[in-house]
Amino acid sequence: MIVYRSIPRVQLISAVLWPSFLLAGIATSVFFVFLDPVRLFDYEGEAPLSRMAAYSLGFFLFWLLCVASSAATAYFMRPTGSAVSSDDGSA
Amino acid sequence: MSKAEVPSGVSVRFADDVERSLYAKREKVYPREVHGVFAALRVTAVAVLLGLFYGLCWLRWDGEQVLLFDLPQRKFHVFGWTLFPQDFPYLTFMLIIAALSLFLFTALAGRLFCGYACPQTVWTEVFLWIERKLEGDRQKQIKLDKSSWSRRKVFVKGAKHATWIVFSLWTGFTFVGYFTPITELGARLVVFDLGPWETFWGFFYGFATYGNAGWMREQVCIYMCPYARFQSAMFDQDTLVISYDKARGEPRGSRKKTLDHRTAGLGDCIDCTICVQVCPTGIDIREGLQYQCIACAACVDACDQVMERMNYPKGLIRYTTENAVAGAPIRVFRLRVIFYGLILFGLAVALGVSVGLRTPLALDVIRDRNALYRETSQGLVENVYTLKIINMDDASHRFRLSARGIDGVELLMEDATIEVGAGDVRSFPARLRADPHKLQKPSNQVVFALMTTDNPSLKIETEGRFLGPVPAR
Ligand code: SF4
Ligand code: SF4
Repeated sequence: MIVYRSIPRVQLISAVLWPSFLLAGIATSVFFVFLDPVRLFDYEGEAPLSRMAAYSLGFFLFWLLCVASSAATAYFMRPTGSAVSSDDGSA
Repeated sequence: MSKAEVPSGVSVRFADDVERSLYAKREKVYPREVHGVFAALRVTAVAVLLGLFYGLCWLRWDGEQVLLFDLPQRKFHVFGWTLFPQDFPYLTFMLIIAALSLFLFTALAGRLFCGYACPQTVWTEVFLWIERKLEGDRQKQIKLDKSSWSRRKVFVKGAKHATWIVFSLWTGFTFVGYFTPITELGARLVVFDLGPWETFWGFFYGFATYGNAGWMREQVCIYMCPYARFQSAMFDQDTLVISYDKARGEPRGSRKKTLDHRTAGLGDCIDCTICVQVCPTGIDIREGLQYQCIACAACVDACDQVMERMNYPKGLIRYTTENAVAGAPIRVFRLRVIFYGLILFGLAVALGVSVGLRTPLALDVIRDRNALYRETSQGLVENVYTLKIINMDDASHRFRLSARGIDGVELLMEDATIEVGAGDVRSFPARLRADPHKLQKPSNQVVFALMTTDNPSLKIETEGRFLGPVPAR
């Protein structure tokens, strides 16, 4: 299996999860400043989601998107044609 | 594939070695307890900051929690101020000012924030304290970790984690208490009636505290903290850093206290490695400034004690600047500092002015989405709206509304004047009525004007659309 050998695993996991967490936080704040989730539903009478639930779900949606982007970046950052073969037994 | 079959064997082996060293399992850091001036300062900072965090949410001001980011109500209460989503620019402004202050501060005093005020440091300090109380000092901790599992080990480790977890859960609860009123939250907590998301975020924050302060520790600083990575960009030769005085300390070596080490050709460092043992990030400051160093000054305190015991002057490791170590004069006001200072000042003034000019009033116009328009029996066209009045002032006001933009347009509401309390948001149904012959287009701009009857200077206008039939030509 090809693994990211150039940086420690904690660093890799942090590098994917953590910046996306921060960015998701910012995106969620900006998004919900301009959009009141309750108003999204108000013409249907009773809102199906409380504001807390909408904020939280919104946050996780943003996080998921950012994680996907970060993970893709990390994936493409792997050196191509490196001398390190994937099965030399040291992994 | 065996090593021998790899064509460029040398480079492969080299890569392997590098990887192995980089992949070496993280060595657990057991910071030794320190006492001294800076340790006392840090304990004070920790006490004050945690006191604020756990205490502030319980304080009330005019019947409101002093600091409450009331997300469910979309209102922030900040020391008697009420902020609404409309005030978001101010919040952004304040965050930019906070960031710039950190830049200025870093240019002057280095990573003072890291060592004394960063939540990571502050909570880790508490977790270390709990660990020390239950497991004993550094030596005992190392021994305990090395020993095989015994009843005592299970008990001690269990007690430690249980204490950590209880503390973390309390932290998580407090955290949520900044987003929903905490007294109400507490009342619901004791009867196990928390909302699903409150419960979730409480556990989430609690878990983050437990993980970061209990397990991750210095790795957070090294791998996760963006500030740690870019702080060096704010540094120059005059920034306050923790530094080991190489010229004085080297050549290092152990010696008898009675020895005149100068004549014996030794420097002041007795190579006791206490400075390394106390370091929470596990580095050796004698190798020079490293980005892992959070400038906690634990090594300063530790080395000073060693120097005292040896009857050497203190300050072999000390707060200093690169220039000072090199013997150059100390400069506080450099171009960089003046530059950061000026921008900061400009932003603060701009914020002050815009807050001063803020109209504590907002009017949202929401057109009824179910119908385009309606014709009355008199042949007039009518549109239905919901008007949302947000009174951000700290006094209750009476308002009067009017509309213009179309010849003869008439605003119909249940009451001529309406009252909205301080910091309240209220919605009112309203109808606009106009003569279709006066409409130029199917969609027309109208202006809603909100006036305060008791304060003529407090007024605001909001645009809306008025829909009608396609005008006959
Ligand atoms: S604590 Fe001071 S004397 Fe001891 S090893 Fe460190 S620098 Fe040298
Ligand atoms: S080197 Fe000294 S100041 Fe830096 S983190 Fe370690 S103990 Fe703290």
